Amino acid sequence: MSTVLLLAQDQPLPPTPKVEAPPLTAIWPILIVLGAACVGVLFEAFLPRHQRWPAQVVLTLLAVVGAGLQLAFYLTDAPAAGELAMFGTLAVDRPALFLWGTLLALSFGAVLLIADRSVEPGGAFVATAAIRPGTLQDRAQVTATGMQTEVFPLTLFALGGMMIFCSANDLLTMFIALEVLSLPLYLMCGLARRRRLLSQEAAVKYFLLGAFASAFFLYGLALLYGYAGSVRLSDIAAAAAGTDRSDTLLFAGMALLIVGLLFKASVGPFHTWTPDVYQGAPTPVTAFMAACTKVAAFGGILRVLQVAFEATSWEWRSVLWGVAIVSMIIGAVLGLTQTDVKRMIAYSSVAHAGFLLVGAIALTEKGLSATLFYLLTYGFTTLAAFGVISLVRDSSGEATHLSQWAGLAKRSPLVAGVFTFILLALAGIPLTSGFVGKFVVFEAALADGMAPLVVIALVASAVAAFFYLRVIVLMYFSEPAADGPTVTVPGAFTTAAITLSVVVTLLLGIAPAFALDWAAGGVFAIR
Amino acid sequence: MSPTVSGDGSWVMAVLLLLPLVGAGVVMALRKNDRLAKQAALVFSIGELAMAACAWGKFEASGARLQQSFSFDWIPSFGVHISFGVDGIALVMIATIAVLTPIVIGAGWADKLPEGRTAGGFFALILLEQALTIGVFAATDVFLFYVLFEIMLIPMYFLIGSYGGARRQYAAVKFFLYSFLGGLIMLASVIACYVMAGDELGKGTFDWQTLVGVVSDAPLSTQIWLFLGFFAAFAFKAPLVPFHTWLPDATAEAPIVVGVLLVGVLDKVGTFGFLRYLLPMFPDASKELAPYVLVLAVAGIIYGAMLASGQTDMKRFVAYVSIAHFGFIALGIFAFSSQAMAGSVTYMLNHSIATGMLILVIGMVISRGGSTRIADYGGMSKLTPVLAGMLLIAGLSTLSLPGTNSFISEFLVLIGSFPNQPVFTIIATTGMVLAAIYVLWLYQRIMTGPLRGNALVTQEPPIDAPVDATSGGPGAVKVKLEPEVSAHKAIFDLNGREKLVLAPLLLLIIGLGVYPKPVLDVVTPTVDATMCEAALVDPVPAERQLQCQ
Amino acid sequence: MTPTYYLLLSALLFTIGAVGVLVRRNAIVVFMCIELMLNAVNLTLVTFARINGDLSGQVMAFFVMVVAAAEVVVGLAIIMSIFRTRRTASVDDSNLLKY
Repeated sequence: MSTVLLLAQDQPLPPTPKVEAPPLTAIWPILIVLGAACVGVLFEAFLPRHQRWPAQVVLTLLAVVGAGLQLAFYLTDAPAAGELAMFGTLAVDRPALFLWGTLLALSFGAVLLIADRSVEPGGAFVATAAIRPGTLQDRAQVTATGMQTEVFPLTLFALGGMMIFCSANDLLTMFIALEVLSLPLYLMCGLARRRRLLSQEAAVKYFLLGAFASAFFLYGLALLYGYAGSVRLSDIAAAAAGTDRSDTLLFAGMALLIVGLLFKASVGPFHTWTPDVYQGAPTPVTAFMAACTKVAAFGGILRVLQVAFEATSWEWRSVLWGVAIVSMIIGAVLGLTQTDVKRMIAYSSVAHAGFLLVGAIALTEKGLSATLFYLLTYGFTTLAAFGVISLVRDSSGEATHLSQWAGLAKRSPLVAGVFTFILLALAGIPLTSGFVGKFVVFEAALADGMAPLVVIALVASAVAAFFYLRVIVLMYFSEPAADGPTVTVPGAFTTAAITLSVVVTLLLGIAPAFALDWAAGGVFAIR
Repeated sequence: MSPTVSGDGSWVMAVLLLLPLVGAGVVMALRKNDRLAKQAALVFSIGELAMAACAWGKFEASGARLQQSFSFDWIPSFGVHISFGVDGIALVMIATIAVLTPIVIGAGWADKLPEGRTAGGFFALILLEQALTIGVFAATDVFLFYVLFEIMLIPMYFLIGSYGGARRQYAAVKFFLYSFLGGLIMLASVIACYVMAGDELGKGTFDWQTLVGVVSDAPLSTQIWLFLGFFAAFAFKAPLVPFHTWLPDATAEAPIVVGVLLVGVLDKVGTFGFLRYLLPMFPDASKELAPYVLVLAVAGIIYGAMLASGQTDMKRFVAYVSIAHFGFIALGIFAFSSQAMAGSVTYMLNHSIATGMLILVIGMVISRGGSTRIADYGGMSKLTPVLAGMLLIAGLSTLSLPGTNSFISEFLVLIGSFPNQPVFTIIATTGMVLAAIYVLWLYQRIMTGPLRGNALVTQEPPIDAPVDATSGGPGAVKVKLEPEVSAHKAIFDLNGREKLVLAPLLLLIIGLGVYPKPVLDVVTPTVDATMCEAALVDPVPAERQLQCQ
Repeated sequence: MTPTYYLLLSALLFTIGAVGVLVRRNAIVVFMCIELMLNAVNLTLVTFARINGDLSGQVMAFFVMVVAAAEVVVGLAIIMSIFRTRRTASVDDSNLLKY
């Protein structure tokens, strides 16, 4: 056996790729984010408890802003065709840069929500995660002002993972990034200050199903490695273009890989974790997860489909047609039956994932730019939605049951107005970003000859509009419940996050031209 | 296209669009002061009427296809422009809105609003709705048209949902969802047209005139699909018969003045869409599918008339009357003769006036009796002779009595449709007979005969009981009571404000009935142009020949 | 012995793991099944490395091990925290969240 191995190693190895000094300028944003995350961990270790929160907030916001500025600086003279970094494992091309920008902007808003301590005194996170729910200490921690400030470095790690994920040029990097973004999220889900059991349960569910999906992704990676002899996306594409290899390996590998990705993007029928986790997780984390994970996951899906599997698209496209239809229908129909606002938005996100998939399987430049734009619009709208949800509270925490939202417009016209606008954006009513997003995606799909899919998508949007409308009806036309929730006056952080998101949603609805141009800035660097 | 502003008074168009928007903002800001807000709303709506008159004056009937146009970039990468302009049909519709809005505001002046709602908010939404509907009629970019078509739903949704009757939530949601669904199906067609333009011209565009050139040459099968997409939206909106179920609910639950806007203005977007979009853009499909549309139209005439006869609720009655009338309008459009089409366009105007007045008068009846059930009334003309007269006139106009405005249009529709579609026309004529029945029967039940009905007389004979002292006033009419009725509630005839509100409609009904020429002059060139774009020819023998370039 | 058998074995192991995740109810056992799936993947990677005659498959197996270790840390922490509350690790007992 050992001789065989030795013999194998005696065979001439493929020529090592030419090693150049890794151009770091392109990936500075990632390095800043991950570096700040490490510093954050050190803060946890060395700073006294009372100093941690301000230090972490400042560090995290600085890191996100700094990475954004660095990205803007890099964009001034970025090569139009994109470039490879870290020995070709990262492709820093226009879509990747757009996604980075989107992720950084969204996570800026999400960090503001996470950092808020005025809506829930002490913040939405548990003071000490190790306390058992239901015990005396637990009841004490509800009113304690401390919180687990580890949330901030965890957020940064997840953000770094997401940024790597959507620019990964080979499947292994993608897998590592997937884990780097997922593991912190699993933990963050379990850190809610109130309803600890619900939160922990969400964490367990998310973790088990997430790890399960990662295993699928990984097995797909292994099969594709067997097929192409490499996990570099461009090598897989080149191998698929030749015809002398086993198609079984290719399609089995691809199917498993895509299942893993669709799971992360919460595309139905792989969405089962979504409502539970969205409901159980602390709302700021849900906002972060819903907005940023979706962006990263679809960034990955787009890259894998367009770079690695474009040549075989006629084989798999019909399957993804079906998946998109299932996702839209599940999201729209099950959304109708929900009685919890967070779960409703979760099903809405499943429906939106279907719309995004419609754009993603239009393998054209238009499809790419349309999906990127949609991600941007959807991310901000969702962020604002969860921001508003965190404001409506009663004595036991957030009041997420729909019946508690009745007559909200009488108690707080402003919050009801903002939430109505967000719901209209999610429904895709014109003059909101949601409409422009849907429009560009459907346009791309239609131009690529997918008219039936577009019609189904439009009908699904009409069905989904019903449950958004139901909330508007509740807020405006119903009488408020006697012991209904109050609307907390948000502090500066939450106000800023909601304002930012709403302004972006409005702006992209009225004057989307500039963002559309950015999204259409270039295609994936296929090397 | 770089920002262009054509010379012929495009500022009128811009002001026409912006004035109600500004008005809505101002009224909203003043909503704390009820009286001031109402006055501001009235001033803005009258200003808008003046602007519309100005636009009418500047319109040259024999001029360009689209006049008073202006356009600038909105989303350059998708070839979307903000461009507005009017043709004769759009101008007539805009004038209708401009006339109806001040009347509606006057009529809603003293409405009792649900608790917690202000008149300022109510009128601001009405002004907003006005701006958006004017935009829909004036938009010459199909994308912009779609955007406004959908946005238009939102103020109406809140008008019904916040200010409506008992089942207002249900009605508002139903209204919104039906229209939204239709709109989304249209969106698919709009995008498909854009993609086709992109294939043909190299760069996609939403400019209506360009699209007409591109899409009208498409093969029949493509045209049929695209036609159906647009048709879905317009058929829901108009509404044609199987798509109509939202209208009775919405009309019944909406406040009276909102009902006027809904039936008088909003629904006209559907028939306007037939003329502006379906015929010019999809001429072959229109010809192919016309028989089916005509079946729906005639079915609507008969169905609407029969259900109107059977209604026990006055507001629902008006809704079904409107459904019958929309059948007539659709018949005139899809009969493909310039005479019938001109009839349809004037019908769109006249229906707004006649039905608008009918709804307002019925609203005045309801506000006196406090019930919408027809059975709760009877012999009311004894108490309110002027109101009864108004109901009679509105009703006669609704049934198209010669001498009223509607007669001309209904006559044109029928006489123009007959050569091409004799069977459908004959069936439609029975709708006229039915109209006479249901209108007169309504009048008879409410106004004539002995004074009766829960809304008008108290059940038990109150001996020496004060007759609802709160609403006593100088206008009370003393009536000799029927022997079996011991007391009637304090019901007063029209007050000055109500007379003032109805007067302009009365003038228009009689004026346009006697002298419809100004409207026909504006409409005819546009109708001819539409006929030419749809490659239609008048049936021979025609009184005059179409002149196509 | 042809490498194909190793591929079949690893596929079998992966399937056993996947089925285990779906049918078992104890969170720890479910988690172990996931680990089994990951190790099946490792076997696949190494076998393909052998078939393709390059080392990257073996290197990837190391990456997978490291990731699996990290997953264990996070996963066990989460499962522990819920176990301490409920005194059970059964997935079925976690039923606060459902449709």
